[in-house]
Amino acid sequence: MAPRTLAFFVCSPHSRTGVTTAARLLTDYYLSRNVDVEGFDTDFREPLYAVFFPEATRIVDIGEIKGQISLFDRLLVADETPKIVDVWHRSYERLFATIAEIGFLEEARRRGVEPIVLFQTDVTESAANSALVLKTTWPDLMMSVIHNRGASPLGRDSLAILARYPASGKFVIPRLEAPIARALDDVDLSLSRFSREPPPEMSIVVRAALKAWLSPIFTQFQSFELRLALQSSEWLR
Amino acid sequence: MVKKPVKITREAPAKREAESRPRKVEAPAAAANAAARPAVIVVGADKGGVGKTTIARAILDFLSLNDIHTRAFDTETPRGTLHRFHPDETMIVDLTEPSDQMKIIDTLNTSQAKVSVIDVRAGGLSPALGALDEIGFFDAVKGGEFRFVLLHVIGPSIASLEEIAEIAPYVADANYFMVKNHVNDTTFFEWDPQTHAKYFEHVVTSGEITIPKLSELAYEQVELSGTPFSTFIGNQDAQGRPAEHSFVLRGYVRTWLARVADEFERVGLLDLVGDKRR
Repeated sequence: MAPRTLAFFVCSPHSRTGVTTAARLLTDYYLSRNVDVEGFDTDFREPLYAVFFPEATRIVDIGEIKGQISLFDRLLVADETPKIVDVWHRSYERLFATIAEIGFLEEARRRGVEPIVLFQTDVTESAANSALVLKTTWPDLMMSVIHNRGASPLGRDSLAILARYPASGKFVIPRLEAPIARALDDVDLSLSRFSREPPPEMSIVVRAALKAWLSPIFTQFQSFELRLALQSSEWLR
Repeated sequence: MVKKPVKITREAPAKREAESRPRKVEAPAAAANAAARPAVIVVGADKGGVGKTTIARAILDFLSLNDIHTRAFDTETPRGTLHRFHPDETMIVDLTEPSDQMKIIDTLNTSQAKVSVIDVRAGGLSPALGALDEIGFFDAVKGGEFRFVLLHVIGPSIASLEEIAEIAPYVADANYFMVKNHVNDTTFFEWDPQTHAKYFEHVVTSGEITIPKLSELAYEQVELSGTPFSTFIGNQDAQGRPAEHSFVLRGYVRTWLARVADEFERVGLLDLVGDKRR
């Protein structure tokens, strides 16, 4: 079976749940493995994701047809380059309405592109319901949840809350202490470069904490990637 | 002839309230009997810029996708906008010229295409109907020789209501549909019921067809491609070669055409002009 081109939609209908962090981590994971990535930032007002990867991302306004063309026509190119879409919470409804209207998912599969939704969890019922709507509308849609314990902690009921999401997989982004988390705000800090060679000028404490935080996240992405590869292997069915 | 690359998948048509003084469309049995009779669909309006040719193009796609062999006549001489999009099945004619009238009416029974679509140029609807009346076409319709469907594309102004009164004498034996065309985002005001009733005093309609809006950019790209909507959706150019149309725009056009097809099907257009057994 030919390798499928992955198109990730990192999304949440709500703000401040850690969508951009997750998109950034996924992008850096691929870059750390010398895999080129194409990113799309749908927050055209404050494109923070694009700021971290100015060479690899484009900013799209999907409220405009031209923005939709820039995004979806590119996502449909099966060139084996992973595509990552940072879905701004204000673009959430419009994005999936457009996907439905133009028949994007069906066309993507036909062309060998695998759309994957990475849904950012939060404590609200409406977020889980939104995920459920996506899964009900497209039962074959691959969906995993991302639980960012720092940006969007679920508290003691986390297991019950996570059970509401109709996802087939889960990623956990551990919480970072505030002083360490501040280091992430530096737009010049490349996590892919950091994972290979931490900058010597960085505090040893911050370095150690960031490394301890980043490693399990990248391991989860690697495990996910491996699982996908195994699923699509014709010799293992 | 360009290929028909896609079949339109239709969703269940939405229920709509019948408009004032609705008339039932022909019953299926009657429609089946009528299947052998040639049908003429006239698309027109006396007002310009209401999207007559867009409707005619959508009908040609709809009938083609339903395997109904159709020919078309474009009365916009000499330019012929409909002819530009459907050159293989369209002939440019002047409806007021007897020689062109003969090309249409005298060949209705002999043509392989059992459905003829006439796209009447702006301002030409009343004269066209007058010309058809003069040559006895409506008598033949009344006598059951031909079927006649009139799609009257109306604009949002009161002038459109005045047109209705002008064409009233010709639509007694027609399946007369009013078409509200929103493709270019036209907003139709709600007519005052009394005013509305006054204009419809002498007209019985078979229904109302609403054409939904299509994104301007998508519409413009189909215009530029100069192909039928279905060919654009199938990503082909006018010569049937692979094209490079945006998938997003094709997706919008596909959804729009499916909605238009829902509308045509809802009012029973296939029963009126084609063989239901197809």
